[in-house]
Amino acid sequence: MKKILQLTLGIITSVGGFLEIGSVTTAAQAGASFGYQLLWAILLGTICLIFLIEMSGRLSAVSKHTIVDAMRERFGFPFFFFVLIGIVIVAFLVLVAELGGIGFALQILTGVGFPIWALPVSLIVWLMMWKGTFSLIENGASLLGLITISFAIAAWKLNPDWSQVGSGMLPSMPGSDKAKYGFLAVSILGASISPYLMYFYSSGAIEDEWDRSYIGMNRIISTFGMTFGGFLSMAVLIVCALAFRPAGVQVDTFPQAALMMTTIFPKWGFYLFAFSMLFACFGAALEISLAIAYFFAQGFGWNWSEDLEPSKDARFAFVYTIIILIAAIPLILRVDPIKVTMLSMALTSATLPLAIGPFLFLMNDPIYLGKYRNGWISNSVVAIVIIISFVLSIISIPLQIVGG
Amino acid sequence: MSAKRLAVLPLFLALACKSPSATEQMDSIISWLGTAGLTGEAWLRHTTPDKYTRQTLELTHDSLIDISSGLFKALPSGIDSASVDSALTRSTQHIGLMAKLVEQKNSPAFRALLDSLQSDEKVVKQFADSIEAKEDQ
Repeated sequence: MKKILQLTLGIITSVGGFLEIGSVTTAAQAGASFGYQLLWAILLGTICLIFLIEMSGRLSAVSKHTIVDAMRERFGFPFFFFVLIGIVIVAFLVLVAELGGIGFALQILTGVGFPIWALPVSLIVWLMMWKGTFSLIENGASLLGLITISFAIAAWKLNPDWSQVGSGMLPSMPGSDKAKYGFLAVSILGASISPYLMYFYSSGAIEDEWDRSYIGMNRIISTFGMTFGGFLSMAVLIVCALAFRPAGVQVDTFPQAALMMTTIFPKWGFYLFAFSMLFACFGAALEISLAIAYFFAQGFGWNWSEDLEPSKDARFAFVYTIIILIAAIPLILRVDPIKVTMLSMALTSATLPLAIGPFLFLMNDPIYLGKYRNGWISNSVVAIVIIISFVLSIISIPLQIVGG
Repeated sequence: MSAKRLAVLPLFLALACKSPSATEQMDSIISWLGTAGLTGEAWLRHTTPDKYTRQTLELTHDSLIDISSGLFKALPSGIDSASVDSALTRSTQHIGLMAKLVEQKNSPAFRALLDSLQSDEKVVKQFADSIEAKEDQ
């Protein structure tokens, strides 16, 4: 009975915690600019994420190691440190974007600009980290994030042409704007396959004391949770394709995105969007802050647990405190969170080999996983998606910069 | 650094500093005009807060001024831009006025400006199509 409850909660929180500013912004821009043509990128990213999340949980349940622990132990500290720098820089940019997303949601609700919100929002996120427990962060924020299901209802009510939606699941080249198309595909992949999710999930499995009996449950949670989450991203894209594309509106700013559900839900559409973004970005900001602190603490061998008093894992608490406060600075200086989001998603994609490559080696190591190590299907799927995403980012990021 | 790489560097920098084409600028203008239209319709249906509507219209107004100032330098030669120039100037002014009407909660005057904006948007779209055809040639 306890496991059924855990399973249900696991799936629900995976769905509620799936969307964040990166997935919403990239899907919204893709839908507004290219209709359903980039649905394949969300599909590909979601399939890859299902495999990666399942692997992260399996590694922790079988080996009792988090990814970071195992990576440092297996590859040595110098290599780990190199990975740490790359991943922490990208994760930090994503944190700035999420805090900016909360600020933007508050801006459209209150009329007070996001730079004013940067510090109070950061303090609230920090307070939640300081006072909260792992399950509060994992479940509380994600349950609030269930409001994002409104995107799926909106997409359904807009009654899209499902045959065209189906065609969008297969890659095709656009007639024009190929650099923008490639850049958006890369950003969508980066937003879907966020490595911080793997570190958060594997650390969570250790916090929740998973063992081998959780392997089946882990598989169900990762498959269903991420699949439904992927549907939500697709719903955002579909809504924007139908709401914005006919009017020629490109979603370059947050206030533009806020209009996506005002036609289909005249009374509540604006507020559904604002609160969806508020809760989704809040949950994501907590998860990323925690993932960065886990990364440092596990990598340097410090005490760590969100369930411990901060005095008992002072260096762990110090890392998230500093990271959250530093992340507020660019927002106070009025750096546009949407631009940070697009940059961080594209960089995530470009650094995927760094984040995922060593992890794939670990997942094939019999010392850690014994008979539970990866099969050829999971290895192939993840390797292919990472290579596609890396090649696309090498081509399209410079092209997009050149194209302005 | 080899001589070959040094020779390529200025080209790369020149490309990196390339300003957007007329078609890209027209797409941005149409996007902002569409934003004003959606924002205006949503406000008239009482589905968005006044502050948000006013701020979004002000953002639209400022963005249109920014893009329009660069547009006429980027136009291909042989294009008569007089009609779109006046439509754009009028639209930008109307959007600025609409932001003020939100504060006054003057829906009838807001509706009239929104209707005029929509007819100017058609002129701009036709002009954008003609530029795209010219750039394709």
